[in-house]
Amino acid sequence: MGLSRRKFLKLTAVAGFSAGAIGIHRRSHSLPSGQPITERALRGRWIPTSCLNCPARCGITVKVAGGRAVQIKGNRSSLISEGQICPRGHIGLQVLYDPERIISPLKRSQPKKGKGIAPQWKPISWDQAIEEVVGKLRTLRDTFRPHHLLLLSGLNSRSHEDLLSRFAEAFGTPNLVTGEGLDREAEKTGNWMADGHFDACAYDLDQTNYLLSFGADLLESTPPVARWLRKWGRLRREKTVRTRIVSIQPRYSVTASKSDEWIPIKPGTDAALAMAIAHVVIKEELFDHGFIKEWTMGFDRYRQVALQHYAPEAVSRITGIAAETIYRIAREFAQIRPAIAIAGKGATAWPGGCYTSYAIHCLNALVGSIDVPGGIFYQESPGYRPIPNVACDEIAKRGLEQPSIDLHGTEGFPAARVVTNQVPRSILEGKPYPIEMAIGFNSNFNMTAPGTGQWEEALKKIPFYVHVAPFISEMADFADLVLPSTTFFEEWGYDHSSPGAGFAEVRIKQPVVKPIGDSKSVGDILFHLAKRVPGGVTRAFENIGGSGEGFVRYRTSSLLPWEEFLKKGVWRGPAYQYRKYSRIFNTPSKKFEFVSGNLQALHKRKARGLGEGVAYVPHYSDAKWLGKEEQYPLILFPYQPLLTFENGSQNYPWAQEIFLPMQGVGWASPAEINSETARILNLKDRDEVWIESPFGKIRTRVKVSEGVHPGTVCIPFGQGHTSYGKWQKGIGCNPNEVIGVDFDLLSGQSTFFNTRVRVYKA
Amino acid sequence: MSRWGMVIDLDKCVGCQACVVACKEENNVPHGSPEEQKSRREIYWHKMIAVTNGKYPNVRTEIIPMPCMQCDHPPCVTVCPAKATFKREDGIIVQYFRRCIGCKYCMVACPYGARSFNFKAQEAKAYHHQDEPPDRKSWAPWPFPVRTQGVVEKCTFCFHRIDRGLKEGRKIGTEVVPACVEACPSQARVFGDLDDPQSPVVQLLASRSSFRLREELATKPKVFYLSR
Repeated sequence: MGLSRRKFLKLTAVAGFSAGAIGIHRRSHSLPSGQPITERALRGRWIPTSCLNCPARCGITVKVAGGRAVQIKGNRSSLISEGQICPRGHIGLQVLYDPERIISPLKRSQPKKGKGIAPQWKPISWDQAIEEVVGKLRTLRDTFRPHHLLLLSGLNSRSHEDLLSRFAEAFGTPNLVTGEGLDREAEKTGNWMADGHFDACAYDLDQTNYLLSFGADLLESTPPVARWLRKWGRLRREKTVRTRIVSIQPRYSVTASKSDEWIPIKPGTDAALAMAIAHVVIKEELFDHGFIKEWTMGFDRYRQVALQHYAPEAVSRITGIAAETIYRIAREFAQIRPAIAIAGKGATAWPGGCYTSYAIHCLNALVGSIDVPGGIFYQESPGYRPIPNVACDEIAKRGLEQPSIDLHGTEGFPAARVVTNQVPRSILEGKPYPIEMAIGFNSNFNMTAPGTGQWEEALKKIPFYVHVAPFISEMADFADLVLPSTTFFEEWGYDHSSPGAGFAEVRIKQPVVKPIGDSKSVGDILFHLAKRVPGGVTRAFENIGGSGEGFVRYRTSSLLPWEEFLKKGVWRGPAYQYRKYSRIFNTPSKKFEFVSGNLQALHKRKARGLGEGVAYVPHYSDAKWLGKEEQYPLILFPYQPLLTFENGSQNYPWAQEIFLPMQGVGWASPAEINSETARILNLKDRDEVWIESPFGKIRTRVKVSEGVHPGTVCIPFGQGHTSYGKWQKGIGCNPNEVIGVDFDLLSGQSTFFNTRVRVYKA
Repeated sequence: MSRWGMVIDLDKCVGCQACVVACKEENNVPHGSPEEQKSRREIYWHKMIAVTNGKYPNVRTEIIPMPCMQCDHPPCVTVCPAKATFKREDGIIVQYFRRCIGCKYCMVACPYGARSFNFKAQEAKAYHHQDEPPDRKSWAPWPFPVRTQGVVEKCTFCFHRIDRGLKEGRKIGTEVVPACVEACPSQARVFGDLDDPQSPVVQLLASRSSFRLREELATKPKVFYLSR
């Protein structure tokens, strides 16, 4: 035989393998319904819908086979991210099939509430659950106290948000509180001071040649993140000029590692740096003369402030960045056009964050990057079919006259729209009035807001709390009643992204699989409740579709024919129009303002709240610290990795095992400390430590790093869950437990970075 | 015959790990647990590593996505005593589970750590062990509907997609690509025939400077990286 043993084995191996493979292919397939197997059935069906694992709400298509969702892809018709999705999109499968989802309404049988106290849930029927909720709601209205109802909204579809605000208005409560106050309110307020748009910025990433990012984790947590991920490829290698990206932040993040330059800055001094850049640009006459002359107001005053107080040499001492570096990036920023300056959360979630945002936004005006190709967009809104105004009944009118318990727009927070973290304080103080009942829709504020302890106390104090979510969360642990809602795979809705692409785009959300257990969508729950609360509430929910699905049909009928919408999944508005200067600025002067007329007007209206020394120009002021430096020498600088889910859970092993790519670890939230600092504190890698602030302490392990500012400790958000879940409970720590409660001066945004800590071995 | 290869542009890569997740989703690769991570028993067909050099503030981290390198001179094939791993005609290195005796010799030989041993017990079939979701095995021409305990697993360049695509006469590299390439949001990955001068991989390699991992070992990987 001319066949060696080796060759023989090789041949049999090949033969065996292909036989095996064919064996699998040929195995008789039977579908649950028993229909014959066509090629199409084998491959499954792709259904377009919309993701809701973060506020970006990307268009996705889900492959369904045998009644089960098995794979997720981006929807190529969605142009915001050119049909691409981030890894969280794929992990949606584990959100849907989370084995610990709630499958029926639950009632608490343990009367005592508190952290770590098991609620001892008893399953009840929907009828009974709705009856109990409606009973309480009716009592509130019958006794003319509708404002004693508090509605909390976490991450919900736009359609559900619309229904929620309608419900709140018709019911008569001014207390619909969203998580916005934890997110980007300071950035929005800064933008509002400059151009009158109370909104986050959108950027024309297709054509920009220079990105200057202040404290923004563009590739991790800046919404809409899938757009950033996609456009990064374009910025780098899909246009004629390779965009230069400079990342200014205290931590060497994934974004910083992918940027051309990382400039570590002393935390909280971004405004000074922005003003120093303005100083150089103005002094060297590098600004856009035409735009400044035609379309801005107050430039002389701004110029004076920048030239007088913010010479790079002086700012170098504040920020810890060499003066030469400031000169260099200022010149680059002004000369490589179009250029964009981006204000991220790391720069703006500070007590003076609105001014930081203002200072950074002014840089964009300096180089003329407003509403031009490669500059700032003004996000357009989709033209949903309008809903008739709510005709408030007498009860609702009286309720709505009351101040909101988050105190926005009052003396404490004059320019604020929502002050999420004021809510627990108001509840605990019982001011301006007590809260008798609360309903939380997918919210998890005692996990995601700084000062988790005060939320726990407040939730304990609410006599009747109803939680609506697909799973038990830290907040659900305080509920008297939990209603199982559906995930985004099982419900109707419409969604659009946070500002990003400029043009308007709407994605439909349609059920791709049957709801798991007895869960109902938030929309359907609201319609159920509204029907049973007589008077204005019932009337407000008549003739707008009648159900979660009907409402979506009603609202989107102005966009696309229904069948086409279901098939395509995406409606897109007209292409973005640039240079709308004559109508884009919502300011008193109808121009971009370096001296804020909007703020002046507000000050006139609400003089007491703002105090005397309020400034109308962007400026830097030293951060107010929580904790004394002598006692707490380090700054706690938390951050949000890309794989942190924003739906209130983290029970997803695909995300957990690759949680921190830079450190190469998962299932953990280590405290990153600079190697030099670690040497002084005598700490080594993986040492167990306490992170102690004036407000508490948390335990974690040390990760010695070369990528953090020596004065900071960096801990990721997302871990430290205590309520449920095999894959999240007891893993890592939650920095919010030790972050103090503080607010931005004007916007009422929670600050996240001005808490001081000390670190010592556990 | 084609010779499949992949090009990963590190300048476009955003370190998001969509490739890692998409691979698990496509190939039914079991997820790990805290204990498995501690004992390094997690299974990845596609992983992501970060290599850090320098001192603060001049630090530099390179994030490198790593599928199997599909070497032209694969050490894993040379050492396999059972001939359970071999090179297909199109250059893809595959693992034949039925022949694998679980000796892990190939894992030692692989200079890229591309191979994982499946320690998972067969009983663990809860959803979160994605090994065997209830309906999956009954519906699709999935190459790996049921996982085998006690054998070595690795990336296959999604050969089931390629084979199917070829049978259907679709263009490999544009219409049909591996799951990681399809999922990459920054489109940093390109897949195609290294022997076809017209293919995008060849043209991309000609236009930019590229490298392969541990080239000095002469394993001749078919995964190329474009530097920044």
